[in-house]
Order: sequence, then structure tokens, then C-alpha cells
Amino acid sequence: MVNGAAFDVTVPDHETLLSTLRDRLELTGTKLVCGRGECGACTVLVDGTAVYACLTLTAACESRAVTTIEGIGREDALHPVQAAFIEHDAAQCGFCTPGQIVAAIALLERNPSPTEDDVRRGMSGNLCRCGTYPKIVRAVMAAADQARAADG
Amino acid sequence: MANRFVATKVEIEGREETKIVELPAREPAPWDDDAALTVVGQRVPRMDALEKVTGRARYTADIQLPRMLYAAILRAPVASGRVTTLDLSPALELDGVRGAVALDDVPSIVLDGVRLFDRTIHYANQPLAAVCADSLEIAVRALNAIALEIVSEPHVVTAEQALASGAPRVRSSGNTPRSSPRIISRGDVGAGLAQADVVITREYRTPAALHTALEPHGAVADWNAGRVTVWESTQGIFNTRADLAKAFAMPLSSVRVIKNYMGGGFGAKNGASHATYIAVALSKLLGRPVRCVLDREGEQTDAGNRPSTAQRVTLGAKRDGTLTAIKLDATISLGIGGWLGGPGRIYHELYRCANVHSSETFVYMNTAAMSSFRAPGHVEGAFGLERAMDVLARELDLDPLELRRANYADLAQDKRRPYSSKRLDECYTRGAQRFGWGRARTMPRENDGRFRRGVGMASLTWGAGGGPPAYATVRLNRDGSVDVLTGAQDLGTGARTVFAQVAAEVLGARVEHVRTILGDTERLPFASNSWGSITTASVAPAVRVAAEEARDSLYEAASGVLGVSPDDLESCDGVIRARSSGASIAIGDLCEKLGDVMIIGQGSRGPNPEQTQISAFGAQFAEVEVDVETGRVRVLRIVSAHDSGRIINPTLAESQLEGGIIQGLGYALFEERVLDERLGLPLNPTMHDYKIPTIADIPDIDAFFVDGADPVANHTGVKGLAEPPIIGTAPAIANAVADAIGREVGEIPLTPWRVLDATRA
Repeated sequence: MVNGAAFDVTVPDHETLLSTLRDRLELTGTKLVCGRGECGACTVLVDGTAVYACLTLTAACESRAVTTIEGIGREDALHPVQAAFIEHDAAQCGFCTPGQIVAAIALLERNPSPTEDDVRRGMSGNLCRCGTYPKIVRAVMAAADQARAADG
Repeated sequence: MANRFVATKVEIEGREETKIVELPAREPAPWDDDAALTVVGQRVPRMDALEKVTGRARYTADIQLPRMLYAAILRAPVASGRVTTLDLSPALELDGVRGAVALDDVPSIVLDGVRLFDRTIHYANQPLAAVCADSLEIAVRALNAIALEIVSEPHVVTAEQALASGAPRVRSSGNTPRSSPRIISRGDVGAGLAQADVVITREYRTPAALHTALEPHGAVADWNAGRVTVWESTQGIFNTRADLAKAFAMPLSSVRVIKNYMGGGFGAKNGASHATYIAVALSKLLGRPVRCVLDREGEQTDAGNRPSTAQRVTLGAKRDGTLTAIKLDATISLGIGGWLGGPGRIYHELYRCANVHSSETFVYMNTAAMSSFRAPGHVEGAFGLERAMDVLARELDLDPLELRRANYADLAQDKRRPYSSKRLDECYTRGAQRFGWGRARTMPRENDGRFRRGVGMASLTWGAGGGPPAYATVRLNRDGSVDVLTGAQDLGTGARTVFAQVAAEVLGARVEHVRTILGDTERLPFASNSWGSITTASVAPAVRVAAEEARDSLYEAASGVLGVSPDDLESCDGVIRARSSGASIAIGDLCEKLGDVMIIGQGSRGPNPEQTQISAFGAQFAEVEVDVETGRVRVLRIVSAHDSGRIINPTLAESQLEGGIIQGLGYALFEERVLDERLGLPLNPTMHDYKIPTIADIPDIDAFFVDGADPVANHTGVKGLAEPPIIGTAPAIANAVADAIGREVGEIPLTPWRVLDATRA
């Protein structure tokens, strides 16, 4: 299952989830940057948990629910984290942004009331070279506030 | 009639070039501080943010075309040597492999002094051949099948090795360029030193730093009937087009280069790269689209770097702090090629001093070529100069900020001309205020605890005037929506948004009805590379002129409908209104009435003011905490005050400041390419081993502008801003570390072992 739709793909045992998503399913929002779990640009959710798609084998995702950036919000119904990234200018070149957003959603799922330090620790596996970090912290904190306000 | 084609000077990354410019049809009155602007200066949200947060922004690496093939590059495993055997046929026999190219299969393409696929190996990881296959995986596997035999030869991978007597020749012409050492001099440094009450001499070293853009260099090429379309991750579509047309002996009009989104450039993507040439050569050979994107190791080892430097700095000053002499002897490790970007210039620019002498020795060696990297030269030079100024302040027992004020340059001394504007004094004042400099500097220091705090500052300057040529078209669609077309690039800077703001301002249109279309050589008028912080100052005036021309046509059409003179009209928020009668019409309604009449305005960038230096300035302040047991440095906060003229969009501009500061923090604390001197090989070509800052490393950053239009620079009043914030960050941090530990630090990055060495010295 990818973004709620079932896909039947036959892949070699060693094919990574990242390769399947990008090359077979043409879901190119998930980026290849380091290919070895060092940068977080390929972060996706598998059964709600953030994983590096470059280090995950597709064969291990059989009958599991994979969510990529394409499955998070629609342009007319953005996820609050996406909306906060726009509002706080938390993307410059944008290449790391899909991974940052997926990682932020997973973080808020684990910890709906993070401190700024929690965000810094929790997001430190997602590298950004443009230096949007201060804005990312702000965006994630704002999304958390908003989610709590909506719940409360 | 006077000739409309005149010469003007444009400064690009410290190099002043003479450009021909066609005088624009109109040169509007400058927007000064009193100009009533309603869209320019507003925090308009980044216009391409929606594509970016939804994963819909398509980067070069995301382009997938029918029948597309994937290329992979075979690279040299040694730093110097010769290829004795290179047989592609075993690779070509593999299932799914469609083609391969080596030296004899491509035209003679020379990049940084090295021919593509040269059989002489000049540096480790130099491309030797490329394979193309149905999938990247097959292509990579096929590389291993290529029969390669090489003979190693002695190499030099440090400047010391390259300059030693009897060193192997890196280039047939020698190990330094003909114009090296480059001497720049004014006054008499010997006399200046003789006048000095205090003279200090120090040596500083800066590392080779890697751009580490998240999207590597890459291209997708689609050769079709003698023409080629190339999607490229580039800062310069027109430069890339020119490079390709020359290499493949094609007319410029047969090469189309497209760049819509790119995942970072930072100076390394200014023309066709190995990946571009390889993609085009293979697409031409096979008649199918080819994607060639560097892998991470390729990106970290053969895609440009900020060259390492050694700087010997001598400063002479009077007891009151007045500088009497500045002297620099620098060695710059270029690698196999690159351009002569050195640390010298900022020594001539930053402070008032009659006697300045710099000597820069540029060195070729068996490592990958340097390239521009955000404020090339000035970042390296500012580290040496601003560290030395800090030492001088200590020797003189002066506040480092007061020492800088005491040597304030009111004139651009090296070129003997006035500045268009300079608000560095205001940056000092407001930066110091927001930092609490006076209090922080005199706070009691703990001298025996484990954690020691310190503060430091540095100032900066950067040529940021931009200039011609740059062209723009503004057109109105029949619903009143507006397209701004210009062949510039948005690297993530926000260029799309600021151009739309300028057009909306002039037209009185709603900014959300304006779209900016960039990055296509075939469909758009020329704009230059997005480098040297020149894009906004170069292109925004062209957009303004184009929008004014469109607005005049629009008003003329409106005057007929409203029955008033065009001079009586004004527009705001999407509505055109007669000042006298108050009669009005929405731009959209007017365009609808006009049907498919298309209102189009053309604009171009006029010449720069004569004999005027256009520069950005800034002052940066840092507070650090040093763990003297481990040597670990933590930056606690940075305050950064900048003069970049008018700011069109403060939010996007502040993002640029923060980004530059964070890259400067990486340069100060973590980043350095490490080579094995014996083998000549890079040791840390991964993102785990080459450390860029993470979100956990980021201090409180208070980065802001001392806002104010520069109406002399150009008629939009803007100056460049993206490079300045990286320039002073590393010296401000290093000065703070010196303050914290009471010891000098001469080399960055300030890794724990260097800091421990300093504390134990």
C-alpha cells in the first residue's frame, strides 16, 4: 500500500523502497541525496513510523502502509505541518523539504507537545544545506500549537 | 542620435567586468526611501512553496522521460597516473547496457584544464568513461565490468608538496599559474609598518570546504534531430547553453536548457558540468533521453570546493588603533584548475588604510578543481583579516568594535571611488545594541571552570551591485493575470517571488495574480547566472521597466473606457482608478474587454553609475561556550546586521541571512575535506564524514537588515544580500572562541582537537 492505494510490483530482493517509489511508481517527491541513511531526504512513513527509504527494502514493505509526501495533504487540503512550512518560509531550495515534513509529522505523532529542543533533537537526522533550520523549528512548533488548539 | 550601446562595469564575485549595455527605452526615477510602495517591502509568502511542501516541485533528478536511459561515471582510483587499458566492451555485453563513451567518443571538452575522459589522470575520481543502461543499477554494475588498467605516478595534494623543489609537475606549464603570485598594492607597506606603534604578524589556515548541495550536479538530455533539450540543475542556463553549443559545435538556438527547480547551488553550478556533457554525448549517440546525475561520492569529490588557504597577515597600527599597514602573503590550493579566487581583496576593501599589500600564490595540485563557493575569496580572507584585527585589538587593549570604527572607510580606497551607499556604521551600532556587546564583552570570565564563554565580532563587505545585461517581459492575460518572464534562475533564494512583487507594485496588480516564469533559454529573454548575489539588483530593474511599459499600455486602454486621460490614472490592489472622478475598473475586467489583445511590456537593465562602488556591508556578533575538557565549541547566539539596500521581501531575505550564517557556522566548526596525503585520495566523501550543520547545532540567530533604499545603485534601490552573511560568521565565532579560552586559534574548522591543542599551548 502506498498512499492508500495498493500496488503490485515485482522487485528484486535487494531493491530499496526509495528506488521503487521514485523509479517504478514515479513518486519523485521522496529524494535521493546520500543513499546511505545520513541525510533524511528520503524519509517516508511505514505503518506510521518514519524510516529512511534508501535503507528500507521494498520486499520488507509487503502488505504494509507506506506514506510519502504525495500522500500527505492535498494542495487544497494541506496537512498543518505543510501549511506551517509555507507560513514560516521553512523551505528554500526545497529539496530536503519532503523529508523534513514527513519527519516532523512522525515527530509530532510521537510527541504532540514538543519543546524546541525536542524538535532540534528529533529532526537532527534531516539535513538542510540552505540553512532553513530556524524556520523549520518555528514551523514545527506552530503546527504542534495548532494541532493542540484544534484538539483542545 | 547618441549610440544606445555603451559600456558599463559590473562586479561579479570580486571580478569587475566591462559589459556592453543597450540603454533601456526608459530609466525610471529611483525608488528612494520616500517612494510609496505597497507590495515591494512586504512579507509575501514564497510563491513556489506549495510545490515544495507537497513534493510536486520537479527537480532535474526527478525528470523521467519515455525511453530514458541512466548514465554512470567510471572514475580514476588514483590521484596521478596514466590509463594503459580501457576496454568498454565487457560492459557493453551486459544485459540492459545501451552504450558507453570514453575519450575517443566525445568531442574535445576541456573543463578546469582537464580534457573530459583524459587518459592522463590528474586527480582522484577524475571521470574516465561513462556507461548508459536501462536502469541506474545496471549502469553502475557495468562500470565494474570495464577493463581498466592504470599506472600510478607520483602526486602532490598539498600546496607544500606542490611548491617543493623537485615536485612532480601537475600541469605541463608548472604548479602555479602564469599570473601567480598576484600582487595587489597601494601605498608603501614598509613605510606604514615603520610608522606603526604596534605590529602583529599571524598565520591562519582555512580548509577546503565542499558545497554539499543536496541535489548533486546532474542533467537530463534529450537529443532530437540535431537539437538538444537539457534539464539541468544549474545557476546559469545561458552559460550552460553556451558551453554545450561550443562543445558540440551547434548553434545556440539548437540547444535548449531548462532549470525549473534546483536543490542548491552555492556557486558550484555555473555552467555545463561533466554530467551535462556526458548526458548530451550519450543522448546524441543513442538517440534516447539520458539522465546523468552524480552520486554523492562524485558530488563530494569532483564538483567544486572552496579552496584551502594559508594566510600570513601583518598589521601595523598607531596606539589609537589607526591602521598604518596591512600585509598579506597567501597560498591558495586551487587543485587541478579553477579560477584565481583568492582571499586578498577584502584586505584592500574593508578598512581605511593607506598602505596595503597582498601577494597571493595560487597552486595547482592533484586534487579536484576549486570553484566559486558563496562569497569566494572573501570568506577565506575575512577569516584571516578579522582574526588579525581581533588580535590587534587585544594588543592595543581596545574594544574590537571600536578598532573597526576607528578605521572606517568612507571611500572604496582600492578603486578610489565613492560608495553608492554605506550603512556599516549603523550595522555596528544596531548589531552591538541587539547583541548587548558592551555588557557581553566585559562580563566576568570564568577562568577555571569546564565551560568558558566568550564573544567575538567581525565585519564584512561584498560587491553587490549587479548590472546588465538582463531582460524581462511582462504580459497580461485576458483575465488580468500577469506573467513575468525572464531567463534568470531561482536557486531557492526567492527570485520568483521578488520579481512578481516588483511587477505587482508597478502595475497595481494583486501579487497573487502575478506569476514569474524562469529558467528556459528557448522561451525567455536573457538574464545572467545567479551568482555573486547579483540576481535581484540585475533583474528587478528590468522587471520594473517592463512592467512600466505594460502599465502605460494598460492605462491607455483604461483611459478610453473610463473617459479620462491616462495621466489621471493610478492603480492599486488590482483596480485602476481615475484620481479626478474616482471612476474605476478592475484590471481583470479591463483585460476581458480587450479580448485577446495582449498587453506586453519589455524591459532591460541599464548601466551602472559611473565611478561608483556598490557594496553590501554587515557586522556579525557571536557568543560561544567552549568545553575545555573536550574541546567542543557550542555557538550560543549570533547577531547579524546587514546593509543590502532596499529589501523587497524581508522574510525571504532573512532566510538568506540565516542560511549564510549557518553555512558560515559549518565552515567555522565542522567542515573540511580530508585527503590522505600518501594515497592522494579523499577520505570523507560522504555526508556522515563531511559534517555540515544539523538542526541541533543551530544557535539563536538574530539576523536583520538596516533597511534603506540605495537609489544610486539602481532604480529599485536594492543591493545583493545572499553572500554577505557567510563572510563574517567564521571569524566572529573564532574570535569568540579566542575570547573564551584566552588563547589564539589559527586554523578552522575549530574541531575539538584543534581547540584542545590551543588550550594546552
